[in-house]
Amino acid sequence: MSSHYEAPIREPLVLGEKSYHDITVDIAKPIEGKANKNWYIAFTISLIAFLWGIGCITYTIGTGIGVWGLNKNIGWAWDITNFVWWVGIGHAGTLISAVLLLFRQRWRMAINRSAEAMTIFAVFQAGLFPLIHMGRPWNGYWVLPIPNQFGSLWVNFNSPLLWDVFAISTYLSVSLVFWWTGLLPDFAMLRDRAVKPFQKKIYALLSFGWSGRAKDWQRFEEVSLVLAGLATPLVLSVHTIVSMDFATSINPGWHSTIFPPYFVAGAIFSGFAMVQTLLGIMRKVTNLENYITRLHVEYMNMVIMLTGGIVAVAYASEFFIAWYTGSPYENFTYMSVGAATGAYGWAFWSLILFNILIPQLLWVRKFRRSFIASFLISIAINIGMWFERFDIIAIVLSKGHLPSTWTRFEPTFVDIGIFIGTIGFFGVLFLLYARTFPVIAQAEVKSILKVSGENYKKLRDGNHE
Amino acid sequence: MASNKKYWKSVEELNENSSIVAKLEEKEFVSELATDEFLGDKESLEESSTSRRDFLKYVGFSTAAASLAACEGPVRKSIPYVVKPEEITPGIPNYYASTIADGYDFANVLVKTREGRPILIKPNKLANGTTNARVQASVLSLYDSLRLKGPKVNGNDVSWSDANAQIKSKLAELKAAGEKVVLLTGTLASPSTEKLIADFISANGNVEHVQYDALSESASLDAFEEVYGERALPNYDFSDAKTIVSIGADFLGDWQGGGFEKSYTAGRNVEAGKMSRHIQVESNMSLTGSNADKRIVVKPSEQIYALINLYNAVTGESLPSKATPKDGAILKAAKQLKNAGKHGVVLTGIQNKNAQLLALALNAYLESNVIDTAAVKYTRQGSDVAVDLLIAEMNAGKVGAVITFNTNPVYTLAQSEAFVQGLDKVKLSVAFASSEDETASASQYALPVPHYLEAWGDVKIQEGSYSLTQPTVNPLFDTKQFQDCLLAWSGSEESYYDYLKNFWSKEVLGGTAWNQALHDGIYTSEAKALKGKSIDALKAAKALKSSVKTGAFELTLYASTAIGNGQQANNPWLQELPDPLTRASWDNYLLISQADANEQGFSNPVRDNGAIDGQYANITVNGVVLENVPVLIQPGQAKGSLGLAVGYGKTKAMKSEMQVGVNAYTLAADFKNVQVATIENIGGAHKFACEQLQHTIAGRYEILKEVSFKDYSNTDLDPKESWNQVSKVSLKHEEVDVNAVDLWDDQDRSIGHHFNLSIDLSSCTGCGACVVACHAENNVPVVGKHEVRVGRDMHWLRIDRYYSSELDENNEERAINKNSSSDEVDTYYALEQPAENPQVSFQPVMCQHCNHAPCETVCPVAATSHGRQGQNQMAYNRCVGTRYCANNCPYRVRRFNWFKYNENSEFDFNMNDEYGKMVLNPDVTVRSRGVMEKCSFCIQSTQAVILNAKKEGRKVAPGEFNNAVACSSACTTGSLVFGDVNESDDEIIAKKEDKRAYRLLEAIGTDNNVLYQVKVRNTEEA
Repeated sequence: MSSHYEAPIREPLVLGEKSYHDITVDIAKPIEGKANKNWYIAFTISLIAFLWGIGCITYTIGTGIGVWGLNKNIGWAWDITNFVWWVGIGHAGTLISAVLLLFRQRWRMAINRSAEAMTIFAVFQAGLFPLIHMGRPWNGYWVLPIPNQFGSLWVNFNSPLLWDVFAISTYLSVSLVFWWTGLLPDFAMLRDRAVKPFQKKIYALLSFGWSGRAKDWQRFEEVSLVLAGLATPLVLSVHTIVSMDFATSINPGWHSTIFPPYFVAGAIFSGFAMVQTLLGIMRKVTNLENYITRLHVEYMNMVIMLTGGIVAVAYASEFFIAWYTGSPYENFTYMSVGAATGAYGWAFWSLILFNILIPQLLWVRKFRRSFIASFLISIAINIGMWFERFDIIAIVLSKGHLPSTWTRFEPTFVDIGIFIGTIGFFGVLFLLYARTFPVIAQAEVKSILKVSGENYKKLRDGNHE
Repeated sequence: MASNKKYWKSVEELNENSSIVAKLEEKEFVSELATDEFLGDKESLEESSTSRRDFLKYVGFSTAAASLAACEGPVRKSIPYVVKPEEITPGIPNYYASTIADGYDFANVLVKTREGRPILIKPNKLANGTTNARVQASVLSLYDSLRLKGPKVNGNDVSWSDANAQIKSKLAELKAAGEKVVLLTGTLASPSTEKLIADFISANGNVEHVQYDALSESASLDAFEEVYGERALPNYDFSDAKTIVSIGADFLGDWQGGGFEKSYTAGRNVEAGKMSRHIQVESNMSLTGSNADKRIVVKPSEQIYALINLYNAVTGESLPSKATPKDGAILKAAKQLKNAGKHGVVLTGIQNKNAQLLALALNAYLESNVIDTAAVKYTRQGSDVAVDLLIAEMNAGKVGAVITFNTNPVYTLAQSEAFVQGLDKVKLSVAFASSEDETASASQYALPVPHYLEAWGDVKIQEGSYSLTQPTVNPLFDTKQFQDCLLAWSGSEESYYDYLKNFWSKEVLGGTAWNQALHDGIYTSEAKALKGKSIDALKAAKALKSSVKTGAFELTLYASTAIGNGQQANNPWLQELPDPLTRASWDNYLLISQADANEQGFSNPVRDNGAIDGQYANITVNGVVLENVPVLIQPGQAKGSLGLAVGYGKTKAMKSEMQVGVNAYTLAADFKNVQVATIENIGGAHKFACEQLQHTIAGRYEILKEVSFKDYSNTDLDPKESWNQVSKVSLKHEEVDVNAVDLWDDQDRSIGHHFNLSIDLSSCTGCGACVVACHAENNVPVVGKHEVRVGRDMHWLRIDRYYSSELDENNEERAINKNSSSDEVDTYYALEQPAENPQVSFQPVMCQHCNHAPCETVCPVAATSHGRQGQNQMAYNRCVGTRYCANNCPYRVRRFNWFKYNENSEFDFNMNDEYGKMVLNPDVTVRSRGVMEKCSFCIQSTQAVILNAKKEGRKVAPGEFNNAVACSSACTTGSLVFGDVNESDDEIIAKKEDKRAYRLLEAIGTDNNVLYQVKVRNTEEA
């Protein structure tokens, strides 16, 4: 896949006068060098948030779920909102590394490593919530179908929550293997460059004895392709199953057949937004402007526009169907007049603004190719997608079938603390990753350097003259 | 005989020459112990790897291990019987017939005891007993840890013998000095106690007995006494009534002791083709008004004119009166009353003798057979005049001793200060009290009395009905009955039990065995109708008219359904029982109409956590100011009128959590429940604990179906096509009943037991007895005001209350509700707002035990699953607490244990209390934190019924299940009927097949085992 011809009118994917060695040096620099002040500041903030989150989780497990703002009619709110939000964010990684690999999209090479890292770290956060939202998390292992001596007790395969357990764990393990496979040649590169024996030993271990022989490369390519094939259905399955947590229930607003495709599109939408957010920061901080270019940003924005469009159409059809049924029970679903004018109107309109209106700016090429605009819009989408899940959960639960059960939800400091804690945890993981892992798949980037590298393109152009 | 046997220790001993035996006599061991080998060789000892340090380590470790192993788990105090009492078998409940008569609530009850502890109160159905929420909850008051545990004099502990001796000598002194001794009691209605008091009076001469009711019925008593010559209250039997007009009488609540709901619903038995028309004229929205077919909203002062106008319209006389804005409706009521003739009745709750006389006169004119002057009631005996006189005499120094029993005047009197001052002036003040309440603290002697579940007694609730109270548990504390003390003071050696037994044998039983009466709990005899004198209606009306006082606001003090007169205010079950109408708990509040609220600037904003707030008002009545009263807007409250519940604001002998509300008794000047008041909005934000925020059905009419009696009776109408429609779905392009479509393979449910519960929305009055019964039976935790406020009450059974606009009047609001085309946003708003004078519907909701339960499919660990008998079962110890089941329950009946509610000082209610825990039902698990819980259809009770029948080798008798289940057995009106649909003679079958039967949210297809019966209203105007 590496040396195919590329039309000269295509923009280069690697900028600057780069040689193979330059790439090696650029990628290895953050790992071999010392961390700067900004890294320390960011790490400290993340760590504090993480510790605060641990405190809140401890308090919850020690005292009871009652420390959250839930009540008898709203049994889930921030917990499952955050779960779905994080799972959604974890969607872009696999899509970029697996689906784009199968489609032979070269631009994925600069971003797939970090996108997958983000996926894995986000799935960690997501996995936390189903566990801690339980009333008795110490019995959480009961959701696993393990042979036991409790009598004839077994898990309930009818329950979407059980499907979640399988879906998330499968997704996490496949993503992790896929990610690690890609990391092997890069770890080996770091191992070979390492001067400190300890570092050398660690990277030797992590690279699983990569030797760089032709056979290694051949197997590497094969495994990547097989894993990509395996991972592609997961892109669809995970969020499909997450959406079934809602779609298989009977609450008006949840009980909706379009949820699976709509949730998958939403997940890709939010995942790409988060990649955009993270890379926007990373390319500045680690001086990777030559590898993560305007073109990458534009391509990602295009995916965002597409999936955002799907999501917008889904909203519209939800709204339309709620009205069209004429059923009084659909009057207050999260996409309805009742929601727009009710107590949660602010959440409804936040969703519309952040998820539908703001992303429309990307139709303008200038914004699409602007780092700043893309960054800001991606933040908006992250917020909007959080609101989408919050609206689906809290608004729907707040207006159940029987009007006597209508109520509202207000988060407590613990709800908020745990959410902030997971952001902190994510930040800690990502910052550590940025200092110890090759954040760009340099081996792969090298493979397209001669095709898509700016200076090589120029050389070729020169030959033609 | 001396024994010459020889005992030998080993075989060797038999051999006399054995050297071993000789050796053993000298030394312990046969062979030499190798101690030298061990310790003699210094070298090897030093070489040994076990050093002294090691030895010490081993010692230390073993000691630590031994002591750790010896540590005990938490000690539970459970003491086995050394000699098992004959009647107690652990695990088997005993039932005792008894009677509650606490001066406010009177009822024949059945007490369930387990291992010698009363744990549940049931109505004694053989004695026609009915129970309300307070009677149900009274079992918890037995275990109130703040009860007075021993006699006290001036706050110091004293022994009973000393206290009795001191009081006896003081009484003797007073007798010698000829000073008056007053026994101030609540309504006793106890023939033997009255006899005992009469004996005491005749023995001493200087004694007087005054009865006092916190909520006075003096006016009714005076009026009845004047006409019929007996100080009693007329009884009412509504079972044959055709028209009931009640002017301010909350007869389905606690009016005159209550207990009318049974005959009221019997008179509205639509299956039997009859339904009385009930017209309620009132200012507050009362439980009775909410059940009425027609509710006419007027101010208290206008109630008086309404009564006179009604009298005029019925009789054709023209007594002096005044027009009221609702005279048209009154005229219609009068016409219906006339049409009903002797099947009509007029009741009034106006606290005025002349008003009561007019009502009696009207009933006499109608020759009403609803009013019963034979089985007259003795549930209220207080005399306002006597109490006033007593206070005056006390302050004038004319009273030597005041002995109070079964009353708490210091708390309940408006002129409480004067009473306390008077109490200071008397030489001897003795308070018989169950806790160190306001009166006990103000008296010299505070003498603890047993709870009725620990005491003997008798009650004459109504003429011709004698009930017995018997102890069901050993007294928990050092208590003595009032009657025993009276006997002791009179120098009698007799116990009250003997006195009671003798009295009954001589004067009551007339040949019936005492044991039989005690077993039944009741003895009945004939009651003769009293003949009434003629009534001067003109005089009464004139006096009545001149008594009318009006003002900017007319305040009506009422007794709330949960707390009543406040004597059980320290009972957490009652505090947590939401008011049936406002659905607020843990509070009293000033009720105000929406119109007045707008004028005065009051509102009830909803907070983001789903709780409502309110401002405070200062209420001024006759110069008395009650400060910081939270204000709640009540739909259906008459404009210009206010309502406030008594029984709150108690501070003595109350746990801190239960010290809620304000004491409204301070406003009840002259014992009157209606006062002219002014209010001032002082702002602030009061935090209400309200369980329901949405007051209307929001256009979802099939949740609560209603039909007029006319349509119901119309046989031409097919209910399935008109008033009891079933949702339709499309199956292969044809409209079919939603029940016809099923995704599930159905099981054969015709084998074994299959339980159904039917709830008749027509006969549910919303009294809340079932809610408390459910708490008691199922160990449902109390969570406190804050948790209720944030929507975490644990009621397994709740009674939803919806306001709707009138069926028969084509008023605008109804039009908006129906027509949803115009401006959608406005429609949404209109649907959510209750009308000014709404109709009220109650709907008890508990787990619907769906055959296709949405909760069961979503639990990842299968903690909730379906039982063979139709129950949706909850395995608490399998639950991991994902709460998905609750989210997926369309009825929202599942309750989550957000915290640990037992043995947790954060929740200092009965489950955190050594005594309070004794009320727990040992058959039901106390749930741990983090698990879901819900109604189980009282599976512990239904299983017990099945097993009993099996042991006795018989079929389960009809109605046996109904009496076993807490809510249906507590239901006085028979609204809740529980039974086995596979049992052909069970009442439930008829209910299931009734044309009124429907299932809640049938369209979802959950196939519930709980049925509702369409609410019928008699909308027939004259």
